[in-house]
Amino acid sequence: MTHGDIYVRGWGAVTTLGWNAPDSARNLIAGIAPPAVAGKSSHLINPEYKAFEVSHSGNPLDKSMAMLERALNEAFARAGLSKEEIAESSVLVGTTGGLFIRNEYEFTEAIRKNPDKESPAISCRNRGPGEVADLIVNKYGIRGMALTFSMACVSSSHALVVAADLIHRKKIKRAIVVGFEPLLNMTLHGFASLLLFDYDQCRPFCMRRAGMQIGEAAAVVILEADKTSSAKYKFAGGYQYNDIKSMTSAGIDGVTVSEVVQQTLTSARVSTADVVAIKAHGTGTRDNDLSEGRGLVKLFGEKLPPVVSLKGAIGHTLGAAGAVETATWLSCCEEGFIPQSFGFSEIDPEIGFAPSQTNIEARSGAYLFTFFGFGGTCTSYLIIKE
Amino acid sequence: MSSVLDKKKFNTAMPVIAASYIGPALTPNRDTIWEEGKLPLNTDGLVNEVMGQPMRRAGRFIKMVACGGLACLQKVSLDYLKGKKTGIFLATGLGNVDEIMPFITEVFKHGGGFPSPNQFANSVSNAAAFVLAKICEVTGTVLTISQEELSFESALWLAQSYLESGEIELALVGGCDIFTPTVEEYRERVNLTPENSRLMPMGEGSSWLLLGNGDGQKIGDILAVDFGNQIIPSEELSASENILRRSEQIMSALSIQENAGREQNRILLPGFRVNKIETGLWKREGWQVEDYLPCCGIHSTAAAFGIARALREKPSALFAHYNCHASGKQVLVLASTE
Repeated sequence: MTHGDIYVRGWGAVTTLGWNAPDSARNLIAGIAPPAVAGKSSHLINPEYKAFEVSHSGNPLDKSMAMLERALNEAFARAGLSKEEIAESSVLVGTTGGLFIRNEYEFTEAIRKNPDKESPAISCRNRGPGEVADLIVNKYGIRGMALTFSMACVSSSHALVVAADLIHRKKIKRAIVVGFEPLLNMTLHGFASLLLFDYDQCRPFCMRRAGMQIGEAAAVVILEADKTSSAKYKFAGGYQYNDIKSMTSAGIDGVTVSEVVQQTLTSARVSTADVVAIKAHGTGTRDNDLSEGRGLVKLFGEKLPPVVSLKGAIGHTLGAAGAVETATWLSCCEEGFIPQSFGFSEIDPEIGFAPSQTNIEARSGAYLFTFFGFGGTCTSYLIIKE
Repeated sequence: MSSVLDKKKFNTAMPVIAASYIGPALTPNRDTIWEEGKLPLNTDGLVNEVMGQPMRRAGRFIKMVACGGLACLQKVSLDYLKGKKTGIFLATGLGNVDEIMPFITEVFKHGGGFPSPNQFANSVSNAAAFVLAKICEVTGTVLTISQEELSFESALWLAQSYLESGEIELALVGGCDIFTPTVEEYRERVNLTPENSRLMPMGEGSSWLLLGNGDGQKIGDILAVDFGNQIIPSEELSASENILRRSEQIMSALSIQENAGREQNRILLPGFRVNKIETGLWKREGWQVEDYLPCCGIHSTAAAFGIARALREKPSALFAHYNCHASGKQVLVLASTE
């Protein structure tokens, strides 16, 4: 749990809406959010599974590396970090697939190049989720700690909270928090096998919602305790919780969600009335949106601030969601507006509210972020715009 | 490793209440010299011994994590955790590949296979931590940490930081890695070359420590977890003189020298990246060298096995566990037993 003043010094993001965070933000604010489409990357084998793919002319492995590098360089530039400052930082990565993309790409290439041969068994050559952090450490000569959190959809949101904890305890000076999730057949087919995939559209909090759609992204958020002259976004109230009642849902009565958010507000000494808007997890699945919606109503009542899910526009970026949605949201704040929530058409009476359907002014105050993942994981924190 | 030592750099020494180790022979807390050709043994006996009942829907990784964690808690019982703020820190280098590979093989089957939803659910990276947390009824900090061959030390460092802050009272910290389809693939995934590791069999394991203030029932202490802040050339990674000097610097900074009782029983535990051990030098400096790898084989979190085994089996001793990452980062764990 974090109590001290920790600031966001920089951020960067590559999403389906742009190769930098401001481009994604401007598209969101302008309402330009093309629907998910059948994957174009050479390794994707089933066109039925629409996804929010990042456009790129090269192969999927090169694209993934380019996304990671672009997000890092954007964040470093925005933060104005010197080479030495980067080197003395710590790296905390949130990812579920890591570089598993390499296995899928190499396998599909082997088949494509040898159409007459019998398919070989797919081999697993990636070195586990920690490989991404190692890549960053080596490329930028980072001497601080390297930690990777591989915790499904809260991987990078948990990484942000742990980073803030470690900075607060003076265990690390600065954290480069990375979310990285290339588009994989494994996750597309996996969520489809769990019947959590919407083949048509992702509709967070909508009566007609039928599941998630997956997006790919890379994003970076840099946290530190020292307030630089340009820093104006404070990270506060970080809270992580593990709900052991269910592996797949945070409890559809909303109690867990409401308690997790309350804990965040209490530790940040922020009242419900001070929350300007909520960046909800809002996956578009029946259970997540029901438990999250009910939890928010339980806590905020009739004074529920505007609720926005970004997943109708950029997809569920899984382990990268925490860093991606934070970085994109911050660029929206810089542009002056919080975007509408995409994919909504009809109120679900069991939830009882519509997510925000217009852009709102990104005024100073507290913005609440929530994430609820597979395995009972819950993360919540505030970004306070000063 | 950094040359200037500041005592404040280290987390507070943490009492070890219980420790447990399971290697590829799948016999909790019992040593066996391991033969690589036996990989992988059936887990049914282990599950029956530790859990008392089968875990039918769980894969190998989840079974190993659950059995390892519970074997560690057998000393104190599950009730010991009740009412205490407990964190679970699961370290794994490669994760639950036993579920991922059959799943992706089905996905890529010509004409479309039948990927199992249960297999996908079990393949999600933190499913094992969830199962262990549910068994232990732990709802607070539950983290799955992965940093290749330094995964366990990273988790230990993080757990110490959470304990020190008072956010949790107890930390169940473990390392688990399991065998993947072939020895050749496994070696490649652990990034093994003759230059960056000792020639040892591949293995697997799930080894755990329960850390926290045990009200006097501790078996030892984790004294320091020291990550070097320099990337050093590969030829220097195994240099005994550097490791020895660093160990003694930390001991000096932590005033460990004053504990004369353990002066006679100093033990180096070399991790698998140490490709040569100058036993003569260590002996001259009053240290024994205990190579635990013949019992557990190489796996990303073998350090957990080595440290848990030493804490459990070697009373009144001081340990230095050293390992490094193939890319040049080093970590020393200092521990002692009662």
